Amino acid sequence: MILEFMRDDHRACDHLYTEAENALADKKVDEAKKLFGEFYHATNHHFDMEEKELFITFEKRTGMMGGPTQMMRYEHQQLRALLESMLRSLNEDNYDDFFGQGESMMIMLQQHNMKEEQMLYPMIDRALGGDGELMIQTLKEMPK
Amino acid sequence: MFEGLSLNQAPPISVVLRFFLTLPVFGLILSLLMIFFPTEILTPNHPFSLASIHLLFLGMISMGMIGALFQMQSVLGGAPIPSPLGNSFIIHSLLVLGILALASAFMFQFPELFIIAAVLLGSGIVYFAQILLPLLIAKMSHNTLKGMRFAIFSLLITAILGVVMASSYANVSFGDTHAAIKASHYSIGLIGWIAALIIYVAFQVVEMFYVTASYSNWCKQNVKRILGASLFLKVIWLFAALPFAWVFDVFMALLLVGFVTTTMKRLRSRKRRVSDVSIWFWMMGMGLLMISLLSYGASMVSHYEPLEMMSLIAFALFALSIILGMMGKIVPFLVWFHLNAAGYMETPIMSNIIPAKRLKMSFWLFGVTASTAILSPFIPLLLIASGLSGVALFSLLLFNLVTAAKLYRNVLTTGTRFSFEP
Repeated sequence: MILEFMRDDHRACDHLYTEAENALADKKVDEAKKLFGEFYHATNHHFDMEEKELFITFEKRTGMMGGPTQMMRYEHQQLRALLESMLRSLNEDNYDDFFGQGESMMIMLQQHNMKEEQMLYPMIDRALGGDGELMIQTLKEMPK
Repeated sequence: MFEGLSLNQAPPISVVLRFFLTLPVFGLILSLLMIFFPTEILTPNHPFSLASIHLLFLGMISMGMIGALFQMQSVLGGAPIPSPLGNSFIIHSLLVLGILALASAFMFQFPELFIIAAVLLGSGIVYFAQILLPLLIAKMSHNTLKGMRFAIFSLLITAILGVVMASSYANVSFGDTHAAIKASHYSIGLIGWIAALIIYVAFQVVEMFYVTASYSNWCKQNVKRILGASLFLKVIWLFAALPFAWVFDVFMALLLVGFVTTTMKRLRSRKRRVSDVSIWFWMMGMGLLMISLLSYGASMVSHYEPLEMMSLIAFALFALSIILGMMGKIVPFLVWFHLNAAGYMETPIMSNIIPAKRLKMSFWLFGVTASTAILSPFIPLLLIASGLSGVALFSLLLFNLVTAAKLYRNVLTTGTRFSFEP
């Protein structure tokens, strides 16, 4: 099921961010930078999996071009900008800004994840039917 | 121009803020009543007590929850509430005028005001439900949507029973079923509307925002069924005047105890350890719900009236604690979200919209207000202390909300937007 696979990936990303945030709260700056870097790459990879494979296949199957997938792309754009700002704040050792931006990012990301998990992924699962496992394999093989 | 990104689904910020801004205003009115009429408020069924209960549950708790639902529907429901500006204006106006009419009807004993309140509140809630319920009965449904649907349906039933009771008060004529209607009205309102909505929001929010273990699927699927069946049977028992109606309260109480212990466990073992006032409010809310359940259980055994009053106060404070905690997160987020999505370069970060220091202060003031209020059935003078603390709490809350709204307007009028145009 796409829902389970993508939901697990959301949780894995959340875990990485939490680790980074916890490390910075404990003043382990180098570790926080390393962990945030991992979160940054994992989240961008997740967006890529959706935009380069999952959404395109869904759109082809259903003909829904300007609907929920377009909305999710818009939100990816906003989240990517936020991740860039956080990376900049962290690299400039501006930790207050990092935590402040992190709060916005976390709420926005979770709202985005809720929409995908509650609405979009079940729609994709229905559209893909028996081809769901093949899609998961394709997503797993995408270069990170 | 850099156009708004995901804004086309989110309602305008004023839609949510109008409900949130009303909450502290009713909080201030209630606090003043607590200061000047403590004995009357603590006397069960006294008109001032009934006025206070409705200011609390309708003016503050339901106002906050309906405001949050306008926002949540666009996130969880997939389809936003149509014409949000117009619809929120209609619903908010009907509710505000209805609550004022109802509180005045109780306090000044004007029969006509009960009818006005019934018409305003009844139409406001029916109007809200007829907009939201069809959106929640979508093809693609999930447990949270089903929980929200159950809660709004319960609100609708609570309102219908309330209208029936208001006409009884207006005619000063109480039939044989008055006691059953009253017990059904508050049971469905407290458990079916307030507790159910908070539980289903917790299933989403606690896990995702604080990065905790997930609630079990069994819980997500069955909470509404257990609450719905218990409430349905309790209402039948009440109207048929059958014995042992309290058995259904025991079922619901056990479920709520399970919810409290599970939520506390999840929050304590959360992966996200960064200090956050909203978690303190969640913890406080869970503690207050447990106090409410324990005191309700003790009052059933002992028939000692102050314990029952304590249970009701603690229950209201449980809901208020969760709402205040979430408002402290939602309001700064919405200000940031709307400005950022519109491309304003001066968009402040969330912690600069309502500073953490002021959020912490509101938590401690809430702690003082709550602890004195729940003990007031035993030491009535404490209700005055609670009212004084309430004045400080709701003044601070109003200040926080007004400054956030002002900041938003300032950036809108003086800020610079990103532009790709030469």
